[in-house]
Amino acid sequence: MDQSEIDALLAGGGKPPKKPKAAAKAPAAAAPAPKPAQPSAPAAGAGPHQDGAGHVIAELDTVTAVTERESNKVMDQLDQISRLVSRQQQLITGMMQHEGAQSPGVQQAIHEVMGAGKEIQDKVFEAMDLMQFQDITRQKLERIVHHLRQIHDYIVELLGTGLKSEAERPSISHTIAQTGTTPDENKAHADSVIEAFKSQKKG
Amino acid sequence: MKILIVDDSSTMRRIIINTLSRIGYTDVVEAEHGKSGLEKLGQGGVEMIITDWNMPEMDGLEFVKTVRGQNAAIPILMVTTNAAKEDIVEALQAGVNNYVVKPFTPETLKEKIESLLG
Repeated sequence: MDQSEIDALLAGGGKPPKKPKAAAKAPAAAAPAPKPAQPSAPAAGAGPHQDGAGHVIAELDTVTAVTERESNKVMDQLDQISRLVSRQQQLITGMMQHEGAQSPGVQQAIHEVMGAGKEIQDKVFEAMDLMQFQDITRQKLERIVHHLRQIHDYIVELLGTGLKSEAERPSISHTIAQTGTTPDENKAHADSVIEAFKSQKKG
Repeated sequence: MKILIVDDSSTMRRIIINTLSRIGYTDVVEAEHGKSGLEKLGQGGVEMIITDWNMPEMDGLEFVKTVRGQNAAIPILMVTTNAAKEDIVEALQAGVNNYVVKPFTPETLKEKIESLLG
């Protein structure tokens, strides 16, 4: 996350909604601001009508965009570590064939280094799998945004003033209540539903 | 075997690709929503589909229904956060062969793929 994004995220935190609204509306012709308050990541909900609720929605959309981009950076690093470990394993395998490495002590040490490399590789894969949290968190945030939009639009309709929120993503998760955080938390449940469905179909 | 991965999260696509490569499947093609998935499918050679449900443009359920209208045989695995019973049943009725709820372990993905490829 770069400074402009941090500034954009902080702009709404604890400040009255009018301030960021005014900042966002500042015309290009006005004195140039030292730092743009707009995030570089696309904010799907960020539109021209940034009232209190609209601002929160835009911020949540920004958070999801930024976390996805940052998660990919973490994945890049893990990929690189994985490639380096693979290269190291190849080099060590070559060393094992070397004439000077044939003593039992050296061979034992090489095997230990190979074992440690395998452990690192496994941990890297494990870390990659854990990055699923990003997608799950994003979908939870989308669900929260959906509820916020509904509340916002209800209040607008009730008061007869203001603008309704912009269209949201066409498909969001139906509920977050059952969304798990531990890998395979819902596997047994899903498998039993699949089994029941298939048996019913056969019958 | 060429596998089509349809998911709007690039992180999730990478995780699935990594898992697939660890279990020996390296020929993958990616799409970020159902509409793009149909285009990739139209280019030919895809023998299996792994798709998410909640996506922009065209969601996974609509994508599956469209695919099934053209191809009754291709194995389809849905990988999604939707864990409710009615969601799983709806996906199966649409033509999904198997279903994985996120977050998953590589072992589960492997088990499901192997069961589909029989």
